[in-house]
Amino acid sequence: MPDVTHIADALSRADVVPETLESADGLGAVVRVASVDAAAALRALRESSHAYDYPVDVFGVDTGEGVDIVYHLRSLSHGEEVFVKTAYPYGGELTSVWELFPAALMPEREAAEMFGLTLSGHPNPKHLLLTSGIEPLLLKRVAIRTAGEVRNR
Amino acid sequence: MNPLLEVALRVFAALGLMLLNGVVLIYMLRKVLGRLHVRLGPTELGPAGMFQTLADVVKLLTKEDPTPTNVDRALYFLAPGIVFVPALLAYAALPFSGELVIADLDLGLLFTFAVVSLVPLGIVAAGWASANKWSLLGGMRSVAQQVSYEVPMLLAAVPPVMIAGSLKLSDIVRAQEPLWFWLPCLPAFVLFFIAGLVETNQTPFDLSEAESELVTGFATEYSSMKFGLLFLAEFSNIFVFASMVVTLFFGGWRLPFVPVDALGNFAAVVFVAKVYLVIAIMMWIRGTLPRVRIDQLLAFGWKVMLPVSLAWVMITGVALRLGGPLIRGAQ
Amino acid sequence: MSDPRAQVEHAGWLSSVAPAQPSTRPVSAWGAVVGVDSLATDRLILNMGPQHPSTHGVLRVLLELDGEEVLAGEAVVGYLHRGIEKLAESRRYNAVGTLMDRGDYMSGIHNELAFALAAEKLAGIEVPRRASWLRVLMGEINRIASHLVWYGTMGLDAGAMGQFLYAVRDREVLLDILEDVTGQRMMFNYVRPGGVVADFTPTAEKKLRAFLETIDGYLDEHEALLGGNEIFQARLTGVGVIMKETALAFGLSGANLRASGVSFDVRKDLPYAAYDEMEFAVPVAREGDCFARYLVRMGELRQAVAIVRQCIDGLPEGEYTAKVPKVLRPPAGEAYASVESPRGELGVHIVSDGGPSPYRMRYKPPALYALQAGEAMLPGALIADVVVVLGSLDIVLGEIDR
Repeated sequence: MPDVTHIADALSRADVVPETLESADGLGAVVRVASVDAAAALRALRESSHAYDYPVDVFGVDTGEGVDIVYHLRSLSHGEEVFVKTAYPYGGELTSVWELFPAALMPEREAAEMFGLTLSGHPNPKHLLLTSGIEPLLLKRVAIRTAGEVRNR
Repeated sequence: MNPLLEVALRVFAALGLMLLNGVVLIYMLRKVLGRLHVRLGPTELGPAGMFQTLADVVKLLTKEDPTPTNVDRALYFLAPGIVFVPALLAYAALPFSGELVIADLDLGLLFTFAVVSLVPLGIVAAGWASANKWSLLGGMRSVAQQVSYEVPMLLAAVPPVMIAGSLKLSDIVRAQEPLWFWLPCLPAFVLFFIAGLVETNQTPFDLSEAESELVTGFATEYSSMKFGLLFLAEFSNIFVFASMVVTLFFGGWRLPFVPVDALGNFAAVVFVAKVYLVIAIMMWIRGTLPRVRIDQLLAFGWKVMLPVSLAWVMITGVALRLGGPLIRGAQ
Repeated sequence: MSDPRAQVEHAGWLSSVAPAQPSTRPVSAWGAVVGVDSLATDRLILNMGPQHPSTHGVLRVLLELDGEEVLAGEAVVGYLHRGIEKLAESRRYNAVGTLMDRGDYMSGIHNELAFALAAEKLAGIEVPRRASWLRVLMGEINRIASHLVWYGTMGLDAGAMGQFLYAVRDREVLLDILEDVTGQRMMFNYVRPGGVVADFTPTAEKKLRAFLETIDGYLDEHEALLGGNEIFQARLTGVGVIMKETALAFGLSGANLRASGVSFDVRKDLPYAAYDEMEFAVPVAREGDCFARYLVRMGELRQAVAIVRQCIDGLPEGEYTAKVPKVLRPPAGEAYASVESPRGELGVHIVSDGGPSPYRMRYKPPALYALQAGEAMLPGALIADVVVVLGSLDIVLGEIDR
């Protein structure tokens, strides 16, 4: 179980109040913050004593009540991982963090199109993988056709 | 013989030679590159796949020939011709042997270079007329590289001319009686060979085709026999360049230690064999080396090739002045 | 098609990421670059791909050119999107491996392994020691095969064709070995949660030992032929430079990151399978250019051969798979596992709701991160460099698009 006190310190210094902060088995530290605080939290983590300066991934999860955007950061100096989660309502506006981590440029576009969010503050907010007009594929309400359904179309 | 008929026969001889050379070279390229690439090349059609090229000719002739919509039609159809005709003309002055030459011009060397330098005109026309950005880039590259390397190529051909004292190609060959010129003109030979690779668009200088960068460069929009003409012209240029290497530096139709009279009619065979040996070396280079970048190519041309070739012309001049008879040999 | 300019109106945004290239040429009042003879030149918008010979699959790069010089570039992906993440949500844990193979098709074993590790973490499955070793062994064989293809295409991108065929000659043996063990040459479906599906075969071992006899000589030959070539060095040195801080911020991983001076290798720093029992070095370079990436990957090839040697000599006896129920139902929760694929850190993040298939499966594609870093390397390069930069990053479009 990784120690999370330094994360709490870093967040409080940046005036970010985490909704939850826990240490999960198999993952690492998991922080949940309000969506408006996401960028501030990421900045605080990057500048924290453990220097979470390596972005591993950005992706979304359809929780049933909304869309969770998960920012996965890693501290190469301390070998620790942190998952910053933030909740958006369906069809909400995802604020880009590309100025902090340019790595988020394409994954954010992907997350936005896959979960039906709009991107704000992004320099190139186009679709990445899907043709425009296709339903947000990774939402649970969007069903995929089975092989049988495609055959009997 | 009727002089007109003779001229016609000579032209047809050149044309036949060019086509035959194309067929031979395509087969040779496939086999040589195949061996270099740990594969076999064509094996199925005819003995050792020899008829594969014929099948390709039939394919090229019968293939559908679509014309893209936005091309500059006149130029688009003319361009393969502009490339093809100089390539054909260049055969005129090549001395296959003392007697066997289509037209033994007094200014043979100059004529060959002048004619070959028309080729980029056709290539840039093809690139421009295709209304395709890849073609255009290929055409532009071709002009840049050929203009840059024409000067060093000509200058590298000057030392043999200075030693031989003639621009007539058969005279240059005869002047190599005691000593082939590659030895006294070694730097000129190296420069000439490099510049020739550039002029004939061969790897590592095949920038105007540059398959991995420009798709097929200037030939992107050409198919069927129009592409066939461009292709044939390229092979023909390779042959002409290799012939110039043999003529200027490797004794033309002669063999070392064999008096020229003993060769008789085999002189032309010796010449062609030497030419294909040079071409094989070019293919070896083609199978091995990566391609240079356009800025590196141009910088090398202007900063290295040009000064060195100029310097070597000067050195040759001084050497001839001081010890001419020694270099010219027992002439 | 409509005016392609509309599609690249955002291509210029990259200049805010990449350092601006100062132009020394005079600029007229209306912004066009002007030559000495006042001939205004226009910018050219070039569509490289998706059928271009060296975009490694179906990548489209929109280039804004001034002559041959690239002003901005934008990678357009998605031509190969098959919805692997979505499909995984309706498949049982044992059946997701087939999807993973079709992600990064050059290194199927690693993809399967990443998913299997995450599923095992979630379900708390102990993997037998032999299974772990087999995973390492097969993974490294796959890595050599993948790196050989990269080596060959790197040569092709630089304009040399022979190297590709030499590399394919060696890879053929490896694919035969993989086929012998798994029954497949590319889509292996070999690593499953709990272990692997088949034991290493005696014929495969014979082939592998014969391969290990020859490979060192062949690698020397490869290095001399391409890396020792001065034209190749001139083409790669100083091209596509990305320094340490930028590389980290762009989330580069694997050899691309190590070529920028960051010694991070998932196999060493977050060891999985049996990598903590292996002895190998992590090649690192500092220059961050294409040639550094070339050197790091060639070093990795040698290390992979060393690991394969250790594995085949020290393969422990025992079961090759744990007893796993046919329908795996891991408890609700989340797990992340990553492997060092030939492309970089390939991660799988599974969210489980206790059901028989993942609630959400995230496939972290290292090549996507490499591609967007590559996008930022393009301004200021020449067209020939674009091809080399993309080649040196070793992108696989199947993985980017998923």
